[in-house]
Order: sequence, then structure tokens, then C-alpha cells
Amino acid sequence: METSISLEPKPADAGGRKKVLIASIVFMGLGHILYLKQYLKGFFLATVEAVFIAFLPRITKALINLQTLGEPKPHLPIRLRDNSIFMLIDGVVVVAAVAVFIATYIISVRDAVTEYDQSRGRTVGIRESINKAFPVLGLAPSIGLIIFFVVVPLVFSACVAFTNYSSPAHIPPNNTVDWVGFDNFRALFGGSKIWTQALGRVALWTLIWGALATATCYFGGMLMAVILKESKIRIAPIFRTIFILPYAIPSVISMLVWQNLLNATFGTINRTLRALGIISVSIPWLGDPTMAKFTAVMINLWAGFPYFMLLISGSMSAIPQDIYEAAEIDGAGKFQVFSKIVFPIVLYQTAPLIIMSFTHNVNNFGAIFFLTGGGPVVPDTTVTSAGGTDILVTWIYNLTVNLNQYHYASVLAVMIFMVLAPIAIFNLQRTRSFREGEL
Amino acid sequence: MRGKARVNLNTVIVLVFLAICSIGVLYPIVYVVSAAFTPGSSIALDIVPFGSGVTLDHFRYLFKNTNYPIWFRNTFIIAISTSISTVVLASLGAYVFSRFRFTLKKSLMTALLILQIFPSFIGMVAIYVILLRVGGLNTLWGLVLVYVAGNIPYNTWLVKSYIDTIPRSLDEAAIIDGASHFRVYWQIVMPVARPILTFLAIASFTGPWMDFIFPKLVLRSADKQTLALGLFSFVTDKKNQFTVFAAGSLLVAIPFVIFFIATQKLLIESLGASTVKE
Repeated sequence: METSISLEPKPADAGGRKKVLIASIVFMGLGHILYLKQYLKGFFLATVEAVFIAFLPRITKALINLQTLGEPKPHLPIRLRDNSIFMLIDGVVVVAAVAVFIATYIISVRDAVTEYDQSRGRTVGIRESINKAFPVLGLAPSIGLIIFFVVVPLVFSACVAFTNYSSPAHIPPNNTVDWVGFDNFRALFGGSKIWTQALGRVALWTLIWGALATATCYFGGMLMAVILKESKIRIAPIFRTIFILPYAIPSVISMLVWQNLLNATFGTINRTLRALGIISVSIPWLGDPTMAKFTAVMINLWAGFPYFMLLISGSMSAIPQDIYEAAEIDGAGKFQVFSKIVFPIVLYQTAPLIIMSFTHNVNNFGAIFFLTGGGPVVPDTTVTSAGGTDILVTWIYNLTVNLNQYHYASVLAVMIFMVLAPIAIFNLQRTRSFREGEL
Repeated sequence: MRGKARVNLNTVIVLVFLAICSIGVLYPIVYVVSAAFTPGSSIALDIVPFGSGVTLDHFRYLFKNTNYPIWFRNTFIIAISTSISTVVLASLGAYVFSRFRFTLKKSLMTALLILQIFPSFIGMVAIYVILLRVGGLNTLWGLVLVYVAGNIPYNTWLVKSYIDTIPRSLDEAAIIDGASHFRVYWQIVMPVARPILTFLAIASFTGPWMDFIFPKLVLRSADKQTLALGLFSFVTDKKNQFTVFAAGSLLVAIPFVIFFIATQKLLIESLGASTVKE
């Protein structure tokens, strides 16, 4: 948005413009101080560069450490040995800081030139400076937080995928960690039979789980929304209130309760079925790999259909009433109205949220971890820690927390990225604001 | 006559179907309520709810023998701080993204979108070390920083797409009248964007209540535990106090349930609105 209004636009003075450009490139903020009389901004930018130069030796050292990840020094006490993981994180943080510095530099040079074109040496007050800096000040805290608590950790994870950071031989501070190139990827994709099989099994189940969990909840929710809207039952609001309950109860609680109810020996469900004489042998709800997968999807349906019920109710109530009336006049039956009008509209409107729900389910840690704990145990579990219902994220958790196999966990994280990032970008490209180019 | 009979039959079928579904939905809820009032600490619940009498012992135990009030207080502090910080930062960022043109804007927006698909615990080793370095381990604010950073990418998008629908003529008029950008943000855009901000405040307030991984990673000492950690400890740690767990869960779930039922109209509207706008 154009905000500064110059009263007398003069033709740009090419010589002065060049001077500002060169001064800004030579030292950050110099152009603002010398030619634009924007002292506050100029001194701030100059300070940034001064600090950067003062830290240059440390920055260089951190970058060298990032490359070597330290040397093993077994003769030193543990406290004094090189800690590869600190070096790796510091290196990533420094790379991020350098990137921010370069971006600031570019922005400051561009800003100096634009300011010169607009203000032509007019003194700018502090208030106006602050006002002009609003976009930067408004975004800075968000971007800072995201860089240090989201981007750096993710980049760190991606880096670990190329190291041997793992128990027992490569855990700092006792030992150092080294770069190993694509060794971990090779091991997981064919090199090590047991790990490759486990990965194939878990990755396949993750995709099936994501698709089934999303589809069951979507159609379950749609069924309820349609029945509650179409049936002329007077107590429909009571049913709707009941159906919202699973959405309102925190999932850790409901999953742990289900885990108790579904226990094969003492669980209430099996004991009730036995008492009623329906079964004579306990059903292994969570004890058999196939059965446990089925149970997980069903319990996820219990927890997840209310969201889509609410969503689709909202979407259906936004359909104009006259469409229904026109269809009725044309002699369309209820089923026709639904399949030819309501369903396409709802599907079109909720499509982005279906995709988001799929990515959510692929990452749905709680639905698996608190219900099945990843179990039951399958043949390779003792080595890989991946149980019969583990999806990629719960497996990552096990590998990190229980086995300390950080290198393999990071390879899995990279894989999640490769599957989900294209989906997210595809989703973005179909949004209206993106298509209309006003992002 | 015939038509009417068929309608009635349909209604009966629908009613039976809804009743069966309701039983399925209510089944675990009834059992957890019953467990909370059941005497003893057996993990095997009664087949008939409330079959072995009613007691308030587990609630007394929670408040006398455990740190339940402290867990509750810690969780509340974390949730309210996360909620306020998320609303302030996401709305500021969203306003800037919606109303200004600047270098790297499109790249930043795309980066936010890609970042939001990751569960934040993928980087938990790094987060642990970073918090260790800045002294944020075993502190509530360290946890809040992690939550807020994780909330910003998606919610900045959410609020931005809402602010995009507010006519620019409103804030342009104010700027011609000499209002600063901050005033436009604070006094014009924020009040109009209140519905989405309310939704965001609620969503980011409820999130931390039951998160498990990060409190376990960040919080160590007994006086810094949260509800999720405390409740989970009742059913693991070889304690198997399922009835106490049920009582504690009930106290957390009740406010949530009342709140959701009271705001279900608002929920349907805001969820519906978010689809129509894409």
C-alpha cells in the first residue's frame, strides 16, 4: 500500500541516487545518515552491522565447527570435550542469523534508494520513522520466534539425518557425532533389511491411516449433518449436543479411557460382551495388529466425526434456500437434490479442509500414542521399536525418546516433509487469494 | 394414509439410528464419569455404571494428596499466556501481510504455509538445546515460547485471509486523516476482526491443556508439572489409579464441555465461514 505522499514529485537526480546507493552498500545505514538525514534508522542499521562485524570471529568459528562437528578428545574430562550437538545447533543458528543479516542488508539498501526517490532530503521525524517501520516492527517478533523455535529445529532435524547421531556410540558429550552423507537413507531404503521392512510397513500404514481416518470422519460427519438437518425430528438439537461431546473432550483423556475400556482382559467392553453371552473368547481389540488398526480407525471416527458434522452443517446452511426450491419445482427427489446439488457444493467448499485434515491425521500423534501406544508388538519391534499401529510420527517419538536413534528419526522427518510439503503447496495454489495474485 | 405411514416408519428408523449412535458416543463418557465416583482403585470398571456405589474420595485425594491444584494453575498460566501472545503476534503479522507490499512477502507467506504442516516435536532435540541455552528449561515461559512459535504460521494465514475481506477504504480513509499504522491496526482493523480473533483466542487457549510431549520435554520439577503430565502419571508409572485419573479428567473436561455446548452456534458459523471464504 502506498502510504507516503510526496507533495512535489521531482525528477530523480541520478547522481545523488548513485551516491546513496554506494554509501548504503559500503556500510549499512550510511546512506540514511549521510544523505537522507534519517539518523535514528541509520544508526540502528549501522549498529546492526557493527555488531555483526564484532561477532565475525565467533561466527567463523561456529561455521567451522558446523563443518567438523568437533574432534573426539577422549583424554579430556567429559565437561571439556567437544559437544557435536551444541556445535550443530549453534552452526544452524549462526547460518540463520547470517541469512537474516543479509536480508536486512538488502532491504536497507533498497529502502535507502526508495526513500531517496520519495523524500529527497526532507528530514524525517522520529514519529514518522517509527510509523514507517511498522511493517518491520510488526513482523519482527513473529519471524524471530519462528526462526529460532520452528525453522532452526527443523533444519537441525534435517541435518541430523546426515549424521550418525545415535545410541550407543555417538551420543555427546561422551562421544562426537560425524557427518555420514546418505548412509542413513541407504540403510533405511534397502541397506538394512529389518529397518527397510519396518519403514515400508509403517509408511504404508501411515498413508492408509491418513486416508481412512479422514474418509471415515468426513462421511460419518456428513451423514450426521444431513440426517439432523433433513429429518424433521423435534429433538434433533439434543442429538447434536450429544454428538459434539467427543469434540469437546480433550483427546488425551478420551483415548486413555478407550484404552482402558478396550483392554482384552479387564476391559469393560469384553467383560460386558462375555456377560451378555455374545462372545466366549475375549476379542483382542488392541492386541492383534490387524484388529488394532481397525480399532484405531473406529475410535478415531468416534473422536473426529463431530468436527466434520459441525463443518458440513455450517457449509449446508450457507446454501441459498432458493436452490432447493427450484430443484423441488423441477421435480427433483430428496436424494437427487442431495447428490446433484448439496453434495457437490459441500465437497467443493470443504475440499481444502479435507486435505488439511489428511495432513493432520498423518501427524495425529495423540490418536495412536494414547490409544494403542503404537502396539501391539510385531516381529521387528524389539529392534526398530515400531509397533503394529505406529505411524511415522509416533515412531519418530519412540526412536528419539526410547532408543535415542536420532539419525533414523530425522530421516523419517525428512520423509514426512517430502510427502506433505507438495500437498500443502497444492492446497495453497487453489486458494482464491493465490490465484488472483494478491497474496 | 400410506404416505403418512411411510413417513412415520422413516422417522422411527432415523430415531433408532440416532439413538444407537448416541449410545456409542456416550458409552466411554458414562464410564469415565462412573469411574470417577467408584470406590477403590480397580482398573477394571463395573459393567453396570455406578454399580458399586458412589464416593467423593478420589476428588478429596486429588486435592489433598497430589499437586492437582498446582498442575491446574500451571496449565492455566501457560494456556492464557499462549492465547494472548498468539492473538497479538498473529494479528500484527496478518495485518502487515494483508495491507503492505514488501520484498520477500510471497516467499514468507509460502514459508509459513509449509512450516505449519510439521508437528513441532519433530525438532524437539533442537528445541531442548535452544531452551537449555537461553535458560528456558523447566520454566513455564519456555514452554509458552514453543507453543506460540508453533501457533504463528497457521494462524497468521487464518487471520490474514479474514482481514483481506475487510474493505481497505476503511483504513485508507483513516491514514489520509493522519492516523498512524498502529492506530489503524489497533482501532480499526482489530475491532472488525473480532470474530476470528475470538475464535483464535479460544483455539490457542484450549490447545496447551492436553499437550503432552512438550511439557514432558521442558518441565522437570514437581512444582512445574501440567495437567496432562499429572493425569497421565496416574495411569502409567505402575500406579494404575484409573479412578483418580477419571476424577481428575472429569474436572478438566466439564468446563470444556459446557463451553463447547454453549458456543456450538458460534462454532458452526465460524467453521462454515472458514470454508466459504477458502
